[in-house]
Amino acid sequence: MGMKQIIVGLMAAVSVASAVEQASAAKLEDVLARGKLVVGTGSTNAPWHFKDASDTLQGFDVDVAKIVAKALFGDVEKVEFVNQSSDARIPNITTGKVDMTCQFMTVTGERAQQVNFTIPYYREGVGLMLKEGGQYADYAALKAAGSSVTIAVLQNVYAEELVHKALPEATVDQYDAQDLLYQALQSGRADAAATDQSSIAWYVTQNPGQYKDGGYGWSPQSYACAVAKGDQDWLNFVNTALHEAMTGVEFDAYAASYKKWFGKDLAPPAIGFPVEFK
Amino acid sequence: MNPPATFSELVWLARWPLLYGLGTTVAISLLAIIGGTVLGTLLGLVLTYGSRASRFGARLYTDFVRGTPVLVLVLASFYILGVAGLDLSAFQAGVLALTVFCSSHVGEVTRGALQSIHKGQGEAAKAIGLTFSQSFRHVLGPQALRLALPALINTAVEMVKASTLLSVIGVAELLLRTQEVISRTFQSLEFYLLAGFLYFAVNYAIERLGRYVERRTSLA
Repeated sequence: MGMKQIIVGLMAAVSVASAVEQASAAKLEDVLARGKLVVGTGSTNAPWHFKDASDTLQGFDVDVAKIVAKALFGDVEKVEFVNQSSDARIPNITTGKVDMTCQFMTVTGERAQQVNFTIPYYREGVGLMLKEGGQYADYAALKAAGSSVTIAVLQNVYAEELVHKALPEATVDQYDAQDLLYQALQSGRADAAATDQSSIAWYVTQNPGQYKDGGYGWSPQSYACAVAKGDQDWLNFVNTALHEAMTGVEFDAYAASYKKWFGKDLAPPAIGFPVEFK
Repeated sequence: MNPPATFSELVWLARWPLLYGLGTTVAISLLAIIGGTVLGTLLGLVLTYGSRASRFGARLYTDFVRGTPVLVLVLASFYILGVAGLDLSAFQAGVLALTVFCSSHVGEVTRGALQSIHKGQGEAAKAIGLTFSQSFRHVLGPQALRLALPALINTAVEMVKASTLLSVIGVAELLLRTQEVISRTFQSLEFYLLAGFLYFAVNYAIERLGRYVERRTSLA
């Protein structure tokens, strides 16, 4: 993928070139004075950030950004989304084109050297999607079947290794696009599809009674929003907004969004002693 | 549960996003082709008839731009100009990058066409007392256009295809719009084919237009 390398290379160059710019340390005041929050996200990944049939941007990332907008302005609509590809997530932060990015961004040490991550708002992992009423009931049945099961997975250098972490003997078929995984499962060419648990949750919700989650997740990664380095006040503010969405006053909004996109109810945080110090 | 929608139903549901995408693609391409052709023609004139210094400058520009991948130009005009203080929108930055790229190609095409016209033509024009602009308008220009047309059409078609690169900086052109629809409908093959057909239709129209102009300007 020469193109990808070009992008990554140029983005890195731009990030370095713009490091000087990051000194301005009054983002919170700037955003409040502007009257709206500018958030970078994508538009092509359900259930994170995608367009509905009437062309409105929606998804879990979008809702998380709206929760931050509400903390700022008391109004979830005071947010402007900048459409960006995954490759543009870090450059758009470092060049100041966005106040923050919420775009299913996996927290890694390498990225944390370029931007400041907020606290995570979701823990992603790989799961197995099965057909409802199919030959295999769940993960245990797939594992017991050994090499006679075929698993569909998105094409990747590490795809085979990834599947074998959970199902050491399974046959692995790699596909080019997400919808082809689902077609392989639907047509019976694969016994299960290994993909992000959030994708499974969304697809199961979209096709009720047809598919199910195999009940096993592996390969964890944290999703967090990211802001520019050098402004601790802004980072603290976004962290506070996210924290209270998961444990405090905005829990209902967070839980409603979680239910909408992942189809699962969240238990409210225990009242009394703060959950985070348990 | 609703029965699964057929492909034509999905296309109908997605008609506005796709049409807007097509419109954006056409707008980007048109702006880049028109801007690039105007700039490129001037560039070609400088490359052919300019003084030594201006020829050197034009040559430097042409070679530098032609030797850079379009994607790099797109990213540079969006990010590097932004850092330098010229904060263009993604659409503006993309159109600028494509215009610059187009101009370098048209410049070379124009130079090639002008230089392949026999020297005697220009001399004869001068001999009957035509000024430079008159001789370009009535003698050299029409001949150069005839010679350059196939290559110009080729460049125009390339611009339409290069406009897909603007999806990287978030311009909602046809490719990005198509990807948005796919992320909702999970039908990648069908919608990519549809996008391919739409791109072909745009390029076919350009090619027909080129043929028309070719017929109008031919000697026969």
